[in-house]
Amino acid sequence: MTTSTGTAVGNGTIDAEVHCTPATIAELVPYLDPYWRTYVLEGGLTISAAQGGAYPPQAPTSATPAARSAGAFPAREAADVRARVLDPGRLRAAVLVCTASFTSNRNPYYEAALTRAVNDWLIAEWLDSDERLRASMVVPTLDTDAAVAEIERIGDHPGIVQVVLPVRTDAPWGNKRHRALLRAAAEHDLVVGLHAWGRTGNAATPSGITHSYLEDYLANSQIIVQAQVASLVTEGVFAELPRLRVALLECGFSWLPALMWRFDKDWKGVWREVPWLDAKPSDIVRRHVRLTSTPAQLPRDPVQVRQFLDTFDAGAMLMYASDHPHDHGSGHERLLSALSPAETEAVLAGNAAGWYALG
Amino acid sequence: MRIVVSRLDEFPPGERRIVQAGRRSIGVFRVGDKFYALNNHCPHQGGPLCLGATQPWVRSGGPGEYVLDESESLVACPWHGWEYDLATGQSFLGPGEPPARTYDVSVEVGAGEPRGGRMPGPYVAETFPVHVEDAYVVVDTSGGTRRTGTTRGER
Ligand code: FES
Repeated sequence: MTTSTGTAVGNGTIDAEVHCTPATIAELVPYLDPYWRTYVLEGGLTISAAQGGAYPPQAPTSATPAARSAGAFPAREAADVRARVLDPGRLRAAVLVCTASFTSNRNPYYEAALTRAVNDWLIAEWLDSDERLRASMVVPTLDTDAAVAEIERIGDHPGIVQVVLPVRTDAPWGNKRHRALLRAAAEHDLVVGLHAWGRTGNAATPSGITHSYLEDYLANSQIIVQAQVASLVTEGVFAELPRLRVALLECGFSWLPALMWRFDKDWKGVWREVPWLDAKPSDIVRRHVRLTSTPAQLPRDPVQVRQFLDTFDAGAMLMYASDHPHDHGSGHERLLSALSPAETEAVLAGNAAGWYALG
Repeated sequence: MRIVVSRLDEFPPGERRIVQAGRRSIGVFRVGDKFYALNNHCPHQGGPLCLGATQPWVRSGGPGEYVLDESESLVACPWHGWEYDLATGQSFLGPGEPPARTYDVSVEVGAGEPRGGRMPGPYVAETFPVHVEDAYVVVDTSGGTRRTGTTRGER
């Protein structure tokens, strides 16, 4: 694949985020225990590619023209990803993300059953069918013990490289109540990925529910993910779990330098409140957090793009992601054309290879 | 110049006195049984440093753990909150801010070791020896500034 500006993606590129989903919940039913099969059937429960409004089918952001004309967005079977992502991109590996369980109802036992089913479906239908694929496991968000148990159950599968969590939650991920989940991920050498969106009803803003898709979409990168980064750092997650690696998926990155600047500055004044921080927040983020390159919300002027990338060492912090099938515009080409050859190698492959330990 | 600050028994722990030494204003602090004296002039922008709050260092082994280290105290300038070690005058808020070259106490300051992730800042406030003589607290300005940690490292 060659982008419009001529930067080659291919020959060993690692795609850090490719979406996949079951076409309907019927595909997951074989992976559910009998009780939950009946529960799904009698309750008329569904899952949808639109994910509670996160990806409206007609929104231009929901699918690239190519994915739209293929009709299946996100990909529903491994052959689809092979034909549209792996082969044309001559990729070395791709990390799958299935966010279908993000919009689960609030029954914690059902959410545990559903996430187990998604994981077993990922292993059987995807990981077993192409060795270039890696998967992000999902875990229940309402029951930390069950999440830990699920990581214990399948976290050591060689194809599982990440625990993906919705960026929208009832309490920020740094909160002490979530610590055991994060610890289990770190102990199994799994990256913790925070992905845009989450359960319907987890408001897009701290002061309440919004009515427009515009506000909802904007909030992932401009509000919610920043609160999560602040939470993870401030609550001392990385002080307690020095091996933990976090990836921010489909949450943008253009907000990072401004947040780090203020975060460092304010920490200097109130460090006493969080004495477990052993370095300034921006250093901790550099050690423990990476961001996928899509969406790349960048200016048009290449000089400005370069200046901006230098403010946070983008070549070391970003991991290339197609985010297939979503369409976030042309920012990604601006990013790739502004990178030096060494940075290009790091962003397209090296950073993800290191973060996800892809040999 | 030697200035008698106070009778010892009239200067209880936790208190401070501001004394005048010629044109200089000096803050004398009693923390426990130790005395410290600091130029009442913040090297950052000249704030009345010695009117600021003093607090011990806090250490931590992990989230939720707070260990006060009473043996070392910091004073925070009331103007912009820069904190200075009472014993050494070393600032802890930097690095990165340019040193104020107009103050000779600030220019040659290199950093000591980072402490709890906090890099020593560019400034060192002037400190003076204090001692107790015949039950009087005496500050001595003749020796000039005592400095520590001024020789190496990133600012
Ligand atoms: S003048 Fe003291 S901190 Fe600015």
